[in-house]
Amino acid sequence: MSGISLRDIRKAYVNGPQVLHGVSLDIQPGEFIVIVGPSGCGKSTLLRLIAGLDRCEDGTIEIGGRRANDLAPQDRDIAMIFQNYALYPHMTVRENIAFGLELRGMKKAERNERAQSVAKILQLESYLDRKPAALSGGQRQRVAMGRAMARNASIFLMDEPLSNLDNALRITMRTEIKELHRQLGATMVYVTHDQTEALSLADRIAVMKDGHLLQFDRPDVIYDRPANRFVASFLGSPPMNFVAADMLPGWTGPHGLTAGLRPEILSVHAEKPSKAALPARMLLSEMTGADMLLHCESPAGRLTVSASRQDMPKDKEQFWIAFDLDRALFFDSENGDRVDLSVAMQP
Amino acid sequence: MKPENPILAGLALVAGLLFLSPVLYSIWMSFQTVDAYYAGELGFTLDNYARAVGQYNFARYLLNSLIVSGLVTLIGITFATMAAYAFARYSFRGGNFLFAATVATLMIPSHISLIPNYLTLAKVGLLDSYAGLILPAISNGFAAFFLRQYIRGIPKVLDEAAYMDGATSLQVLWRIIVPLSRPAIASMALYIFITEWNNYIWPLVAVGKQDLYTLQIGLARLYRINPGEGLIDWPLVMAASTITILPVLLGFLLVERHLVRGITMGAVK
Ligand SMILES: Nc1ncnc2c1ncn2[C@@H]1O[C@H](COP(=O)(O)OP(=O)(O)OP(=O)(O)O)[C@@H](O)[C@H]1O
Ligand SMILES: [Mg+2]
Repeated sequence: MSGISLRDIRKAYVNGPQVLHGVSLDIQPGEFIVIVGPSGCGKSTLLRLIAGLDRCEDGTIEIGGRRANDLAPQDRDIAMIFQNYALYPHMTVRENIAFGLELRGMKKAERNERAQSVAKILQLESYLDRKPAALSGGQRQRVAMGRAMARNASIFLMDEPLSNLDNALRITMRTEIKELHRQLGATMVYVTHDQTEALSLADRIAVMKDGHLLQFDRPDVIYDRPANRFVASFLGSPPMNFVAADMLPGWTGPHGLTAGLRPEILSVHAEKPSKAALPARMLLSEMTGADMLLHCESPAGRLTVSASRQDMPKDKEQFWIAFDLDRALFFDSENGDRVDLSVAMQP
Repeated sequence: MKPENPILAGLALVAGLLFLSPVLYSIWMSFQTVDAYYAGELGFTLDNYARAVGQYNFARYLLNSLIVSGLVTLIGITFATMAAYAFARYSFRGGNFLFAATVATLMIPSHISLIPNYLTLAKVGLLDSYAGLILPAISNGFAAFFLRQYIRGIPKVLDEAAYMDGATSLQVLWRIIVPLSRPAIASMALYIFITEWNNYIWPLVAVGKQDLYTLQIGLARLYRINPGEGLIDWPLVMAASTITILPVLLGFLLVERHLVRGITMGAVK
């Protein structure tokens, strides 16, 4: 178990643009960190730097309190799951899983036993003697996962390890990863595009964009108090609605703000309710299971509302959307930073 | 597999027989007595083989050829693989220049290096020895070049995965690169073996002692042995030729099953 400390990391690929622009991140020993961000923002690059597979020209990397910039990957005690699996094609699943153990001098019987038990967790037992070419994408991904799990590393780097699994398997694996983390107490850095994964696994979430770290905090803080409009829109499904605050009925706050309304703080009503509400018209509705997702048009702009099926408005052309202004977030329309209204409203 | 097109299969058969016919003819000839051969009659004898091996020492030449070609192949392919790995995976100072120099050796005709090699080996006293036969042949620029291109086609992320698993660079070479390059290494080993097996000029120059003759030297000397009336003893020569060809054929059959591609399938998505 080791902490990781990144100080002002910059990275540009040879003959390429700058990918990371001064990222600083302090990860505690045993912490579970999830990195999210749009495609191409530098998540994999950051993992490769921590792993030691690439070198950064600027900044320091400390692992377990020691400067690690010049440490070879083998000497960092890190297990890594690659975004594109990187399975050894000439080895069976068993050999793939046990290779790292073999290199560390574990006896054959012992490492086969370990491979067996890892395969059991990952539901790969019947594929142990197959080569990667004879596996489906999801099975390959689980082998990649198993290769890391078999090792008792002090740091795990996982680059979208569940992206290719079906829903049921993904939920099982999510639990397994959480369990693995609890058992090993290892530090985990996990990249994902799936926000449910991010919110449910992370001790802290790092949100990145264009090579910058935008916010690094607990999931509830990220969700309730996002640093800016981008973070607010990135986490939460369906995503937050943004409307000009001046368009809201009864708005008395300062000008130049954008209000962020999560779909769950909105509700639909057939008659004008007593609290603040906007008249609306339905453009489209989507079924999501127990709930319906309603895409509506209002004088303030487009709004997406989540409503249970029995609350569906009868008249799709005319109904009301009520909101809780206390639960809304506000952002500076110019630069997107979140504005704390209780502070902004002080005379 | 697709069902064969009978016309193509027929053409392939004809072409194959065409290429094979001189070999078959010489093998047939090696079983004739010299008198029957010149009289145009048909016969059968093993006497030519007995003479080649007994009287003319071909067993020894065969052994020499096997030792020399075998060691040249083993050492040569090892060096070529290591050089190829370094060229393919590492960027180091002077690396590009070294690689260019390696490729440039392909453009130098072997006859040009003959005299410098001779003088060098004479100076260190290695002429007339196995070492003298082997040393000049163990560096093979073409094999290094070819293997480098092949290794560059292996996804680098496999090396990286192995490093993360705790491998050293030698272990990456031995456990990842070499197994995945097997078809290319087998082809190059075969190529080096055949080239050395057929090497004539260098053994001719480097060796004077009969005990160190390779098959090619022994074969060339057989032409000078006449049964009388200025005629060449063709059945004897053909028996010796057959002895010379056979190991190469066997070698080919041995590595042929490794010459298959498509091994890196399934590594990355
Ligand atoms: N070897 C490389 N050479 C040059 N540019 C690269 C290289 N690898 C990545 N990049 C660039 O660096 C940027 C960040 O890439 P990276 O793989 O870190 O993104 P990512 O956040 O992991 O994206 P994704 O979510 O799609 O996996 C991209 O713009 C990419 O094109
Ligand atoms: Mg990535």
